[in-house]
Amino acid sequence: MPEREFLFVPYYTVNTLTGTKAARVVSDPVEAAEIIDRARNPLYILGPEAITAVVGEKLLLEYVFEIVKTNNILTCATAHVKKKMLAFGKRPDCVYDIIEIIHFLKMPDWQGVRGRGPHDLVLFTGVRCDLAERGLATLKHFAPHLKTFAVCRRGHPNADYTAPVIPRMEKWREYLEGIIKGLY
Amino acid sequence: MSKTEKFREKINAIIRAEESWEAVGQTPLPQVTDLRNWDFRLMRTYRPFYAPFCDLCCLCGLGKCDLTRDRKGACGIDIATQQARMILISCLMGAAAHGAHGRHLIEHLIEKHGEGHPLDLGDQVNVEAPIIRTVLGLKPKTLGDLRRAVEYVERELIHLVAATHTGQEGSNLDYESKAFHAGMLDHVALEACDIAQITGFNYPTSVAETPLVELGWGTIDRTKPVILLVGHNAAAANSMTDYLRRKNLLDKVELAGICCTALDTTRYNEGAKVVGPLAQQRFFLKTGIADVIVTDEQCVLADIPALAKETGAALIAWSDKICYGLDNVTEKETGEIVKMITGEKKQVLVLDPDKAAQTAVETALALAPTRNKVILTPEQAVEIAGRCRRKCEKCNQSCANLLPVATAVSQAGEGKLEPLADLFRKCTGCGKCEAACDFNLPILKLMAAAAGAEKYRMRVGRGPIHDVEIRKVGSPIVLGTIPGVVLFAGCSNYPDVGDVAWMAEELARRKYIVCLSGCAAMAAGMYKDADGRTIYEKHPPSFDAGGVLNVGSCVSNSHVVGAAIKIANIFAALPGRANFELIADYILNRVGACAVVWGPYSQKALAIGTGAIRWGIPLLLGPHGAKYRRLFLSKKEYDDWTVIDGRTEQLVDTREPTPEHMAIVVETRERALPTMIKLCMRRNDTAPGRAIKLHQYVSVYKEHLGTLPDDLQNFVRTERDVPLVYKKEVLAYLKAAGWQPKPTLSLPTIIGTYETKVPVSATLR
Ligand code: SF4
Ligand code: SF4
Ligand code: SF4
Repeated sequence: MPEREFLFVPYYTVNTLTGTKAARVVSDPVEAAEIIDRARNPLYILGPEAITAVVGEKLLLEYVFEIVKTNNILTCATAHVKKKMLAFGKRPDCVYDIIEIIHFLKMPDWQGVRGRGPHDLVLFTGVRCDLAERGLATLKHFAPHLKTFAVCRRGHPNADYTAPVIPRMEKWREYLEGIIKGLY
Repeated sequence: MSKTEKFREKINAIIRAEESWEAVGQTPLPQVTDLRNWDFRLMRTYRPFYAPFCDLCCLCGLGKCDLTRDRKGACGIDIATQQARMILISCLMGAAAHGAHGRHLIEHLIEKHGEGHPLDLGDQVNVEAPIIRTVLGLKPKTLGDLRRAVEYVERELIHLVAATHTGQEGSNLDYESKAFHAGMLDHVALEACDIAQITGFNYPTSVAETPLVELGWGTIDRTKPVILLVGHNAAAANSMTDYLRRKNLLDKVELAGICCTALDTTRYNEGAKVVGPLAQQRFFLKTGIADVIVTDEQCVLADIPALAKETGAALIAWSDKICYGLDNVTEKETGEIVKMITGEKKQVLVLDPDKAAQTAVETALALAPTRNKVILTPEQAVEIAGRCRRKCEKCNQSCANLLPVATAVSQAGEGKLEPLADLFRKCTGCGKCEAACDFNLPILKLMAAAAGAEKYRMRVGRGPIHDVEIRKVGSPIVLGTIPGVVLFAGCSNYPDVGDVAWMAEELARRKYIVCLSGCAAMAAGMYKDADGRTIYEKHPPSFDAGGVLNVGSCVSNSHVVGAAIKIANIFAALPGRANFELIADYILNRVGACAVVWGPYSQKALAIGTGAIRWGIPLLLGPHGAKYRRLFLSKKEYDDWTVIDGRTEQLVDTREPTPEHMAIVVETRERALPTMIKLCMRRNDTAPGRAIKLHQYVSVYKEHLGTLPDDLQNFVRTERDVPLVYKKEVLAYLKAAGWQPKPTLSLPTIIGTYETKVPVSATLR
């Protein structure tokens, strides 16, 4: 079994972890797909970078659409992401700003988006990295009932699982496509 | 006489209780726990939300302690309580900074004018100090009375600081209550400080249309001797103006400032110039345009001595808060000090603002002709940027604002300067990118060369809101027909400096009253429309629908909180004297106002924001605000929104989450706009008032999120609340959402929903 890698210093140094519980790096997109696949009731949180960042030929958002399609994963559009989703003909399952959805997620008795029950896995993409890191810290400390997965090429030490730091765009595209492939 | 009676007698003497302007309320000179029940009531609905910035605690020798999840420190503290303790410590830093600033200015002005110098805020301002009146129960009449107010702040602060020691408080809620106390004390200090300087320096007051002054680094005439003022205390700067005036040199020397000293200098001398907000400090210092740098206090870079040496500028520090390890030359003659600076190239500490002022002017006159102030040209920038290795991205990784520095620099190297100019608007001036670059690229200078030197105009800070204005707008604000008052305050740690002007403009054109202060007041002016007008040239400066006001510097934030208090006290005629809970309850339930700190970084802004929350004014923070690590959020429609109907004194479940949160971080300006609009809704809104607010909410939400608001059902109480333009679609939406009408109240209050000495009947005028 390969040794587990943990992330203390991500791409952005402002997000360097001052603590002992760091995210496990999920370098293999197939394993990332397995983590997503295993979840009973996952929630995908989409931040505004998802509607501006271009990866290869597509918007980051479009990769997320592919990921959520496979398992009918519920989505939460934060900031002003909703409008762009609608332009693609997709309706988010809920609309909250990032801090609000985290506030709900940390309540163990919250019945989740669409009342489907508590979420066991929360995925993050496109949230401003310093803000996402703080939100992940909230969930790390106050939501032991769920796991978080930062699908972000800059890496997030406060998540339970994080994509590795992937500076090169081509590798990032491969990672995202790898997850999608792994899910199908 | 019992101990309590003796204590009460002491309080009565401080506030001159025998004066009959109003009966003394329940909480004169409130102590640490006197408003605890009010705080706990607020936190019952708006629970503290923590985002730990650090999982460890290293505050004492028993540690470090790892507090991850449910681990406790050796002292027994848990992660939530530790966050709240850090919040209290930060609020104390902020309150102490304002308090010490106030204390210094008050003593300085008492020295000049005597402690019996009367407070005169002009013919439009009779309620001179709404915060001090409400919190202390004192009606200050002289500079000496302001000293009393600051002494109260000092006495309370020592108890709060004590509570942060290891082995003191063990509850996050109690730490938060203490942080609220620190925030409230901060407001007392702000008000005392600004009233002192308005009175002592004759700053504008009782006038809305203050002069327009020049803003932006392009306005600085570098062919003249340039003195740069950095910080928040304008005592030395104003003395410089006096000295220049006496010597007939006012138009021969450029007085320019960064941060609030700049704003307060223009309140004294409209020929002074505002370089820009805090974010421009490092870059401007690096241009070398300043011949003499004069530092005072707060938000001043710790490495200014090195930056001054880099460009050959002189440095004079004059505040006991920032001594930089420099030789104290205060006792020497001015001429001798000037020689030390110009001849020996010494940087000096002069702990007397008047002497520092004279020294600065004489040094600037002597030094300027010898200096060569050359600014990097765009062509030179392209050449230098050509050295960028692009792929290393060390600049990106260290950027505190997560900006694409590497791309911008490398594109500049290829002759494309626009991305670098765009970066300049987003840069917060931390300088970390330069420090990280192995190729020593002067990134800040490159940005400035690409952006060019812009010129703007901004209005001079006007000080207090006039009593007449309050009488005029009190009713439409409380009824909701003026949709809200939004205060943009605080620092310039923005995702983009253009956001403030954009949000302020959006609100002003929707007839909100937009108040600005400090760095936010500068940022709002740093944008011009197609006709070349800044926001200050487009909108009236009055406290009325669609008005855009610069109230002044950080300490002038007190006037906006003061305006909310005055609505309760003047318009609604509620007795304010030592009646904190009654007034805060009125603001929370009936005054549609919110505060926005879009670029938060400082402990001072945290103290101001925390104080605002205790007064019942919700706070919206930009994305960096998450690093404050604490917010106050409701569970929205899932919460209990029961209040008391002041007329019947019965409990009523309103099912209406207004205001929805008391402190929230928002990621983008497009989301911030509808959030502000929501935060200005109050249970007291009449149906026409709520319809106006909902009209704005719906139109903004549609524009930026593409549909009717996803939580619209929470804010419509009866069909009469539905805005006419959207009636059909809103009614269809409400039907689909299973909406049911909600009760409306004309006198909602939370007094009576918790243990308090204030009777519910007191909420009735
Ligand atoms: S104050 Fe408490 S938690 Fe902090 S280091 Fe000391 S013992 Fe540990
Ligand atoms: S100086 Fe500006 S560009 Fe450089 S790291 Fe700081 S914020 Fe980023
Ligand atoms: S660190 Fe310096 S060399 Fe590297 S990409 Fe940034 S500017 Fe270029």
